[in-house]
Amino acid sequence: MVVGEISQERDLIIIGGGPGGYSAAIRGAQLGLAVTLIEQSEMGGVCLNVGCIPSKVFTHAAAKCAETAHLQELGIGSSTDIFDFKKLLSYKAKVINQLRTGVESLCNANKIEIIRGKATFLGVDRIGVENGHQFDIFEFEQVIIATGSSPIMPPALKRKGKRTLLPYELFMLEEMPEHLIVRGQDYIALEAASSFAALGTKVSIVIDEKISFPFDESINKELNRLFKKRKVSVHKENEFISTSETEDEITITFKTGKHVENSIQGTHLVVSGTSTPNLDSLGINRFGIEQTSEGFIKVGENMQSSIPSIYAIGDVTEGPMLAVKAIKQGKTAVASIAGEKVAMSLTFYPVIAHTIPPAVSVGLTEENARDFGLDVRISQFALGGNGYATITGKKDGFIKVISNSATEIIEGLHMIGEGAIEMAGSFVQLLEMAAKEEDIKFPLYAHPGFNEGLLEAIEGLIGQAIHAIPVKNNSLL
Amino acid sequence: MLEVKLHDIGEGMTEGEVIHYLVKIGDSVKTDQPLVEVQTDKMVAELTSPCTGIVKEICIAVGETIQVGTSLLVIEKMGVANTEQRVKVNTKQTAEQKAVSLIGQEGKLLLNPYKRVLAAPYTRKIARDNNIKIEDVPASDPSGKVTEEDVYSFLNENQQSEKSINEVYLEPSSQKNPDEIPFKGIRKKIAEKMTKSLFTIPHVTHFDEVNMTNLFKMREELKDSSESVSVPAFLIKALVISLKEFPIFNAELDEKNSRILLKKNYHIGIATNTESGLIVPVIHDVDMKSIKQINKDVKELTAKAIAGTLQPFEMKNSTFTVSNVGPLGSTGATPIINYPETALIAFHKTKKQPIINERDEIVIGHIMTLSMAFDHRVADGATAVAFTNRFASLIEQPHKLIMEMI
Repeated sequence: MVVGEISQERDLIIIGGGPGGYSAAIRGAQLGLAVTLIEQSEMGGVCLNVGCIPSKVFTHAAAKCAETAHLQELGIGSSTDIFDFKKLLSYKAKVINQLRTGVESLCNANKIEIIRGKATFLGVDRIGVENGHQFDIFEFEQVIIATGSSPIMPPALKRKGKRTLLPYELFMLEEMPEHLIVRGQDYIALEAASSFAALGTKVSIVIDEKISFPFDESINKELNRLFKKRKVSVHKENEFISTSETEDEITITFKTGKHVENSIQGTHLVVSGTSTPNLDSLGINRFGIEQTSEGFIKVGENMQSSIPSIYAIGDVTEGPMLAVKAIKQGKTAVASIAGEKVAMSLTFYPVIAHTIPPAVSVGLTEENARDFGLDVRISQFALGGNGYATITGKKDGFIKVISNSATEIIEGLHMIGEGAIEMAGSFVQLLEMAAKEEDIKFPLYAHPGFNEGLLEAIEGLIGQAIHAIPVKNNSLL
Repeated sequence: MLEVKLHDIGEGMTEGEVIHYLVKIGDSVKTDQPLVEVQTDKMVAELTSPCTGIVKEICIAVGETIQVGTSLLVIEKMGVANTEQRVKVNTKQTAEQKAVSLIGQEGKLLLNPYKRVLAAPYTRKIARDNNIKIEDVPASDPSGKVTEEDVYSFLNENQQSEKSINEVYLEPSSQKNPDEIPFKGIRKKIAEKMTKSLFTIPHVTHFDEVNMTNLFKMREELKDSSESVSVPAFLIKALVISLKEFPIFNAELDEKNSRILLKKNYHIGIATNTESGLIVPVIHDVDMKSIKQINKDVKELTAKAIAGTLQPFEMKNSTFTVSNVGPLGSTGATPIINYPETALIAFHKTKKQPIINERDEIVIGHIMTLSMAFDHRVADGATAVAFTNRFASLIEQPHKLIMEMI
């Protein structure tokens, strides 16, 4: 390692080319900033290369697999069609490559300087970048830390062999797991369980007895029902005991809620849970940056840290570790650096999972409303009553509306069912607009379509959904 | 849930600083249990719990200054858990029932419990770009939802008030803009009280002189025997002795019920000059206190008034007020009575003056002037003169004070 005597000057340096980092870089360039982006591995970060994107290739394939029976109903394909896992893997590689190339060319087109290497802070205005034998020093006006996080295996489950996997490793397997044990209850665990079950793997889920799935309780219940229907066994773990791994098998042993010891034997165990911010090798803590007790960088609403020249976005800051947060924070940070007045709020971030069918929760859940002692009206419209759901054979699920009885302002929107991820856009908009019931009731809804379910859910608040059986003794009528 | 808000504890306060919480989150509290100490511009006030329950939230950090009306704590009333249980069983029905009481009683917080911004993103941007907090913009809609129009009218109001000030003072152009002092809080309260008093009470003021020579001599003698007592303590004692003999000046006119109340308590207000304005701490039951004790009380209360640490009870229920302006100077004044009291005495500067003694010699004496304002509806001039004569005799022959010791 040769330490350069001369440091080069830069305006804005962004460390990390994940969704937060590259969004910040492009937006920064659009706002007229000279941007330098440092990436030690591949552009696109965890999200594009080993996280959201590859896992969605699997959930997408799984959803298609799950349609086989319906396709046959329509006269398409036959029961002899077989699923070729190898082909899926090459499709995954193709998608990742395509998206990564897209990001790189966008960065080029925006004249963003991309430097490969590993960044280390040398001061509050200086950074060193190491790439093999090369070591360059850069002075900057501002820096945005967007180095993301890494999943960690709980100490009790410390890896014994190749059959205990972190989620990203599941999507890198060369062969379909025969019996997959999923431990966890977050969206990653739900997607893994749901997709692999649909692709033909035997799946068992082990969830913490004290923690529910991340949605409104009605969706959590529906997910449980669907798992049962698809022969996915759901086990509640009260206390973890051990795992043991052999050449071909892995066994997880735990105590159930009734303090009975239970063992599940499978071929692979995937563990979803916590992640830790990637900050250690950056060496920023030596310069007295304010951090939370968990090690996240504390930032203000404009993403500025306690050191004025340093901003932080994404998983290195507090809050949900989601690309949606990182992207918004990245844009917020550069807008602030460019002199705009900015605001950032995660109040209505959509909680989603690409399960079969997909699920989304935005805003207050029914449980939240109870906790806050809030007076709410609740209506749930079953997609079984939606015409387009019948046409497409996607009748599972519902849309649920939670509305403030006193003000008629919508407090929460939840859905499990086909199209939920796209509907999430409407949900977030309505909540951010502080929409009232009439704001949803008045507009026209494309017919036939799943979107009509939202209208019917709103109408159901006062017992006026057209495609729902009237509720007897409805106290509101 | 019940919010505990900073309310006007008296004296026209508009804001206060949170000094100390006496409870923490999770504590059970009873009705009237002190929860938090708040420093206002003139005192430290304790806010008490309005109900029995559990402290759920502490909204304001120690050291923050907040406006009247701001929520300090949230208390969960005992028994609320049951209602929530009912919500679970029959959401629709109880939702309706609770909605009614909710709007009436507690308003905003329950309508918007998770501090959600009830405004569309574009509306928030207008506020942000104009450097105002969306939270400060009042909503015209009862739901609390702030619209673009709300933000614009809030902006216009602020701009207009700025504009009108400028317009008035900018023409003719040679005039310079005056400095502004906000007319609020203690200043405004003083104004209100004075106006009320002067427009209600027909004031009469008479002046007199008191020879302090003997009192000063006695004070020196006491000092030699290590008993240091300041002059006001003697004055207050003599005053209360005089008031007992002339109870009409320790009275309150109750016009509504056509009666004059001669008070049996002798609580003397001490008008005190502080940085923020006139404050009147009260020495209670002066008739039952020794000169030494009065001296101690005066000192303590004055110090507290200046430091702004008076407790509410230390500023209440005066029956007669004294304004000791002597240390500041002056020879006379027409003071305004501390309504609803009947009279007030101002003590002015004591000066060395040539006086003629019993042997018709000109000697140097210490003369203090006083101004006594009284309510002419309640008393007449002759009584007032008799009253101040009695007071002067007690001071001029201070050994007489001994006769009145209890």
